[in-house]
Amino acid sequence: MQNKLLFHQSSVSLEIIGLPDYSNNENKDQISIISQWKLTIVDKPLIEGKIEHLRPIMDAFYIYSNLLIKNEIPIYESKLIDIKADNLQIHNIVLKSSKANVKPLVLKIGNSLLSDTLNCFDQLNESPKVRIKKTDKLNKIPKKLKFGLNKKVKFFNFFIPPFFAILSLILFSYSFIYFYSPFENIEKKELPNPE
Amino acid sequence: MRKSYVNNNIKVNEFDALIKITVEMSKYLYPYIREILKSKEDIKENSIIWDDFNKRFIELINERFNVDSMRVKKLLNQAENGEIIIKSLLILSFCISNQGYQKLKNFLYDF
Repeated sequence: MQNKLLFHQSSVSLEIIGLPDYSNNENKDQISIISQWKLTIVDKPLIEGKIEHLRPIMDAFYIYSNLLIKNEIPIYESKLIDIKADNLQIHNIVLKSSKANVKPLVLKIGNSLLSDTLNCFDQLNESPKVRIKKTDKLNKIPKKLKFGLNKKVKFFNFFIPPFFAILSLILFSYSFIYFYSPFENIEKKELPNPE
Repeated sequence: MRKSYVNNNIKVNEFDALIKITVEMSKYLYPYIREILKSKEDIKENSIIWDDFNKRFIELINERFNVDSMRVKKLLNQAENGEIIIKSLLILSFCISNQGYQKLKNFLYDF
């Protein structure tokens, strides 16, 4: 008999179906081996998939929501899911099937449904009854963004040390302009009596 | 930005306490936050909630903030303040979980 857990937030619900890992002496109502998951969004087609798809989809939503708050045009692209913003209110989600000849599922959701979905994922993450293997989130950042971050860091690392070196050199040499030069004065004194 | 004549820097524990209060308030107010966001999504059909919220937001800013500041003027401009309000509401709506305190703190440091 499989266990079922339902996480609900306003118009979105997430159902997790699976079994406890008895080899780890887990309780009967625990879920560690997830066999199926279903994400139901009101007025939208049902989203379901394999266990290996759940964590990448969750990560996609988390990364996208971060980008949405920080950037003006947030875009998340991966083999499994693309999320793009039409504007600050409407978000385009494209779920790509791993099976050949299956058209991708396209959804348009607003901010209210986006926050409901994220809150369902938060509930799942915080539930003591479900264990999901965590992936390294940095690996899931789209290549474009990763490149952008590295580029920024490299740019600063490359330019800041020489910039400070030149600046300090200018400041240091500038201070010598005001120093008394005894040789110049001796030359000047000698000039009126050349013979 | 505030209409205050005392320039005291906020202490770390006060900052933490404010974040905790904000998170608890957003948990409680989530249904309202959601409805405001929803109202902005289909502004042609359901603009009443958004308009009311925006009107009250401007009233409060006028009442409590230094209106001579350029940053505050941006908040008062209805054509420009939409993005700031939506992003602020989104941040609050993303932080209603038990980990909301840490999330909000991270968002604020990155904002």
